[in-house]
Amino acid sequence: MVNIDKNLLDAHIRGDKTAFRELVLRHGDALLGYLVHITGSRDQAEDLFQETFKRVHEKGHSFAGGHFRNWLLTIATNIAIDRLRRRGRIRFFSLDRTTDCDGQMDCPKVNALPVSDNNYDPSEEASRNEQKVRVRQAVLSLPAKQRLTLVLAYYQRLSYSEIAQVSGCSVGTVKTRMFRALRTLAERLPESVGAYK
Amino acid sequence: MKAHLTDNQLIEYEFKLDSDASLKTAAEHLETCKLCRERLEQLRRKFAALDLLREDIEVSEDLISSVLSQADKPLSRQSVFFRKPVWIAAAAVIVVGLVLLSTNKLKDSRLQRQHLVQNMDLEEDAPNQKIAAGRGETSVQGGIAGISPSVVVEKTPPDISIVPPIKLAILDEQEVSEQPPFAPASAIELVTLPRRENVQLTIYNSADLTLVREKRNITLKKGWNWLQFMWANTLIDPTSLSLKPMEQADKIDIQQLVFPPRLRELGRWLIRSQVKGQVPFEITYFTSGLSWRAFYMGTLSQDEKTMNLEGFVRVTNSSGEDYENAQTRLIVGQVHLLDQIAELARRQYPYGSPVPVVGGGHGGFGSRGGGEKWGRVVLGDAYDNVKMLGLEFDKLALKEIKKEGLSEYFLYTIEGTETVPDKWGKRLLSLDVKDIAVKSLYKYDEERWGRQTITFVAFANDKDHKLGETPIPNGTVKIYSHADNQRHLSYIGAAETKYIPVNEKVELNLGPARLVGVEPVLMDFKTENYMYDKDNDVAGWDEIRTWKIEVTNTRVLPVEFEITRGFGSAYWTLQFNEQGVSYNKHDATHARFKLSMEPQTKRAFEYTVRTHHGWREESINK
Repeated sequence: MVNIDKNLLDAHIRGDKTAFRELVLRHGDALLGYLVHITGSRDQAEDLFQETFKRVHEKGHSFAGGHFRNWLLTIATNIAIDRLRRRGRIRFFSLDRTTDCDGQMDCPKVNALPVSDNNYDPSEEASRNEQKVRVRQAVLSLPAKQRLTLVLAYYQRLSYSEIAQVSGCSVGTVKTRMFRALRTLAERLPESVGAYK
Repeated sequence: MKAHLTDNQLIEYEFKLDSDASLKTAAEHLETCKLCRERLEQLRRKFAALDLLREDIEVSEDLISSVLSQADKPLSRQSVFFRKPVWIAAAAVIVVGLVLLSTNKLKDSRLQRQHLVQNMDLEEDAPNQKIAAGRGETSVQGGIAGISPSVVVEKTPPDISIVPPIKLAILDEQEVSEQPPFAPASAIELVTLPRRENVQLTIYNSADLTLVREKRNITLKKGWNWLQFMWANTLIDPTSLSLKPMEQADKIDIQQLVFPPRLRELGRWLIRSQVKGQVPFEITYFTSGLSWRAFYMGTLSQDEKTMNLEGFVRVTNSSGEDYENAQTRLIVGQVHLLDQIAELARRQYPYGSPVPVVGGGHGGFGSRGGGEKWGRVVLGDAYDNVKMLGLEFDKLALKEIKKEGLSEYFLYTIEGTETVPDKWGKRLLSLDVKDIAVKSLYKYDEERWGRQTITFVAFANDKDHKLGETPIPNGTVKIYSHADNQRHLSYIGAAETKYIPVNEKVELNLGPARLVGVEPVLMDFKTENYMYDKDNDVAGWDEIRTWKIEVTNTRVLPVEFEITRGFGSAYWTLQFNEQGVSYNKHDATHARFKLSMEPQTKRAFEYTVRTHHGWREESINK
């Protein structure tokens, strides 16, 4: 079976300038989504995103094959844990991205308020955003390793054994972290989220 | 298990966190225990809130550029000056190791380069063929742009390296085997992508439901054919998929639709064909994410006696799929859905998991929402978008929307075809009628709207009002008025209308009025006609109230008022004698007054209402 990612990485190491771009395009959206879920902030996620691909560039020769996605997630997870450990609860926000949004992704940009959309229902949108904020706060309130496990399992849809591989621990540990995360969320998630798609 | 499951056990069951034996025991208990099933559903609803955070996040070009600029930099090499012999020795060992390693790597990379070149050569030989990998499709080089949901025909077994094209010709001469071929669930396939010839969308407005019928010309070989259908990142209901040949139906047998394990969001039809060559097929399925809604803009004349009414239909596509040149039909009517299509679309297994999936299996517990974008198509997207944009600008001619009745539904067909790309909304004119006779009316009813006077515009969906050809779908109506002789517009208000059948009257509530007012004032109150029971307690009496209603019209137009007064009792009599104000009993407990007011005038009228209570209620019948 042809491992396209491995081929692309090898081509990059050999100096093919388009290969790395192809790798970023293939995996970038999902990686960024993962990092946004972990950090709750697009700015921090983009920071970690760059750091992750920098590490891929530097350590590309050490990729022995197999699932590139899992390898990429392993790198991203290690960087994220390291960063979370170093920064503690201090967060950085870009001043030109959003206003007064506490780093939430759903805040409208200053110059892009949706005023003329015929489908726009401000009350519904406000309620939905409020629910989202509460859910995001609940997820971000989890300890880092529980949050990483939850995001990998729920949003990245990795199996528990894959998560164990990415996190460098046993499947039992993964299940324990997942259980604790879910038990905490069961208490903190909003009771009703209404209709959403 | 007799005892109810604890919350922790329910979590472990839902997310497959316990041992297989415990999960099985819990499942058996759930089958028999309604209470636990309900609690499990509650838990599921609660965790469904996590889906709110699912969103399509795309990497910006700026970020990609930043990453690539990092990757362009040569790897940093640190120079270390060793001072001690032991460090020199260690460094020498490392250098020798690296040399050996790089030699092996060089060999590997040469081999892989050769492999990649072979693939690229294959692509050049067959320009319409494409390598599809995983859930998305990845063009290695060239080929045609991917579309999703897409249909691909497997003409060969999956291993691209061992199938020479000549094998197809040999098969064509053979009799069709009775034994269907096995199609392994491999993720890498060699396929062709037959594009849509035409597509028809039937969009319901009462549910998140659209029926898609599309025609594709598919080239079959004589014998067994596997036809692969992929719907990654769309909202198709895979259980609704249907395929039928539009020609040679007696010679083409569609035997089964297989959803291979481990491969998500694709299905494979097994087709036994007695003919070879191109055959048109019709593929139908349900999808969600396409919707339409009607809305209207009314412009009142300066004297507010006529109104121009424009109706629009807005079609919105967030289904994840671009529908190009689609014949679009819009349905008004209720449908009964057992499942939400979007939920079905996101299932890992179209009919649910064929086997219990426990932690460590593929996808973990993953029957929940998806939206993954690993391995997305990158080539050709931008080109397609630009092309579609071009089409939009080319085809701005006014489309007609034809309307026809069905038994329980009403169908609107948009003339010609429409291109509705994903994430686009499109507005089409459906109605344009000039000078509809309307009646402006101000209503006052404290029980419904408090102490506010509400503006209404009334007309009917009939021929007298230049309408009445078709029902009018429900939607928002925004009413404007010509404010002056220069035809400047002023906004009057907006209202939601229900579905308006033919010959039905419509009254649009445009909200509180600003320039007219109704002010009821209680002038007198007394009680009389007391009745007493045997204990000398009060058993009946009358209450008499006199109200003065002050009505003000500061507008420059004459206006009509409808004032409804409630008495809180069905036992009442009213004394009323005013010129220019009509009165009628509206229902058991309400009276309604009607009057016209000249521009910029004020007037008042009085009425006296007597309500009977207790034993006095019987006196009303006398």
